[in-house]
Amino acid sequence: MRDPRLDNLAELIAGYSLDLQEGHVYRIDGEQVTIPLAVALYAAAIRRGAHPYTKIFPSGLEELELEFASDEQLSYIPEVEQLASESLDAWTSLWGTTNTRTLTRADPDRRRLQLSTHYRMVNRRWDRISAGDLAWCGTLYPTQAHAQDAEMSLAEFEDFVHGACHTREGDDPIAHWQAMSETLTARARELEGARELRITGPDTDLTLVVEGRRWLPSDGRHNMPDGEVFTSPVETGTSGEIFFAFPSIFQGQEVENVRLGFRDGAVVDAEATSGQTYLRSLLDTDSGARVLGEVAFGLNYEIDRFTRNILFDEKIGGTMHVALGGGFDEAGAENKSDLHWDLICDLRQEGEVYADGELVWKAGSFLSEPAVERV
Amino acid sequence: MSDAFHALLADVVVGYSTEVKPGDVVRIETYDLATTAMVRETYAAALRAGGHPTANVVLDANDETLLKEGNDRQVEWVPPDQRWNLEHGDVWIVFDAPTNTKSLSNVDPERISRRMKARQPLQSLYLERSARGEFRWLICGLPTEASAQDAGMSLRQFEQVLHRAAFLDQDDPVEAWKRFGDRLEKVGSLLETKRELRIVGEDTDLTLRVDGRTWIRSKGLRNFPDGEVFTGPVETSVEGTIRFSFPAILRGRQAEDVRLRFEGGEVVEATARRGEDFLREMVAMDHGSRRVGEVAFGMNDAIGEFTGNVLLDEKIGGTVHLALGRSVPGTGGENESGLHWDIVCDLRDGGEVYADGELVYRDGAFLAANGGS
Repeated sequence: MRDPRLDNLAELIAGYSLDLQEGHVYRIDGEQVTIPLAVALYAAAIRRGAHPYTKIFPSGLEELELEFASDEQLSYIPEVEQLASESLDAWTSLWGTTNTRTLTRADPDRRRLQLSTHYRMVNRRWDRISAGDLAWCGTLYPTQAHAQDAEMSLAEFEDFVHGACHTREGDDPIAHWQAMSETLTARARELEGARELRITGPDTDLTLVVEGRRWLPSDGRHNMPDGEVFTSPVETGTSGEIFFAFPSIFQGQEVENVRLGFRDGAVVDAEATSGQTYLRSLLDTDSGARVLGEVAFGLNYEIDRFTRNILFDEKIGGTMHVALGGGFDEAGAENKSDLHWDLICDLRQEGEVYADGELVWKAGSFLSEPAVERV
Repeated sequence: MSDAFHALLADVVVGYSTEVKPGDVVRIETYDLATTAMVRETYAAALRAGGHPTANVVLDANDETLLKEGNDRQVEWVPPDQRWNLEHGDVWIVFDAPTNTKSLSNVDPERISRRMKARQPLQSLYLERSARGEFRWLICGLPTEASAQDAGMSLRQFEQVLHRAAFLDQDDPVEAWKRFGDRLEKVGSLLETKRELRIVGEDTDLTLRVDGRTWIRSKGLRNFPDGEVFTGPVETSVEGTIRFSFPAILRGRQAEDVRLRFEGGEVVEATARRGEDFLREMVAMDHGSRRVGEVAFGMNDAIGEFTGNVLLDEKIGGTVHLALGRSVPGTGGENESGLHWDIVCDLRDGGEVYADGELVYRDGAFLAANGGS
């Protein structure tokens, strides 16, 4: 049975996120469990005159690669992938999986090599995405595994996903995201007036310098669902401490109750009640891993709970997140790292944010609406 | 299929059929989701052999969308990953594992024909690369509910059919394929000394010339299971009539009780009891689709009955088949077409083949003096 919400989601991604046009070469990547959405996206692309094709892979291949491939095989980048990086007009990553912990017990060194190969493979794609030459959108096809992580039934999780995307039956998703885009863009312009942010909350008092950096709206072009404004803070400006009440997850492994202390932009103190070793190893990834590459406000208020999936969690309405590691060129970042680890700070109960000393955010909301410029 | 079956088949496919070597770029494809365990096994075997495998599940639903809703340019477009594989890949393993063999039954044949025509240059290219030894492709049958249903049996029963046809029930399947290859070698060498073949059977009397052509001994390298010797007949030489005992099946469409009459190498009359429109559309696809690109003897006696799966049916010991359309590079055949449609004729009950006037084959077997067992 076809779920009409998937057709809504496909139309939203093809028509709004990617703005697919006639003749565009468009690739859809996903694990086999994501096929229903891949099929809906393919049909939406055909209707728009594009040239879609799919790369649908059976689950478990990465695990086999870790077990059987030599280091040389693990480092190999297929020429056909380089070709795709150079030539695609549009690309969608479908992130649904059958088991979110498949690689949790993999040998960390082998996994690191596998991931670094993957990053090398898609680097060129990111350059083209940043330059606006390649439209990309990542989304999640709801599966049992993700529902389980979110502590929901599959039916509940599907409702949650389509609520967050505004792709429920009867929704007008494109109108919603166009309006959201205006609001987020206005908020980003407003934040660019601030030199310094101070975040206070439970066990949290962190100051970041954002002067001269660009704030960017995440308005459903690159992620679906979406809903945040973010920038990359000045690398040397972060100081103070921050506590993350939500578990912090990287590559399927959880670290709980993370506390970070910053001085002159870098982490000088890091503690957790579980996963402390993993936390330390991530901070030691490289020299950029101790520096923040991102600070952001989560502004999707349909996302009202923690699901152990960063696509949703970083957008929970009323939270902020920071990312350790690589920053965004388009924000003016200078920090480079193989790590980009989003950690989420819940400010919905008693958090406050001051911009250059003025209270702008309290208990999970900005105090004023941004001035939307209508064209 | 059991894990043991998967592992055995993967070893034969990777170690014997495609001989994956270190550094080979290997593309693995399947259709039915129930067969992805076999993809994993093959992927692992290719890694162990030192190759660089990638795997892709092909979505029938997208084919349907493309052929029903796509415009001409979309239908004719070839995705870059498929193009790269055919132009530059080393090994291509396709699992013939349908989810629903009739999913394209209601698609306009013109759309199917248009797509096949558009892909013809790439088809020729990869077959030529294959003939030069630069590209090893394999179509490997896997049991699925859909193929079992077409064969009129349960999945378990169809697994047994495939198991036997692939010699996986023998102690050393690779050794069995090599021995079988020796038998095909004898028949191929015999046929290469002949100038003209005449095939006689019920409502069938067809002559064709094969002089100067090469007979390929098909022993499990490009098809699996396998077992045929084939060549491309001299294009203008085919004369007479042939009636095909088995339905002619192509991409889920079929024509039953097909009768063809040839003059000067071309089909001049094509009739079928069912599916005649489809037959005519395919025969009229392009210039080469009226000609015979392949004539072949099915030699695998472990395949006894018709299953509606052409990969198996064309190998049934005691049958011959013709393919309308493209000839296979390496045979000396020169016919070009977007079509390559194998249609099978059972000779086990009274069929005869004469080579240069001499009876060499009767009731589905070569006579002992002519390479028969």
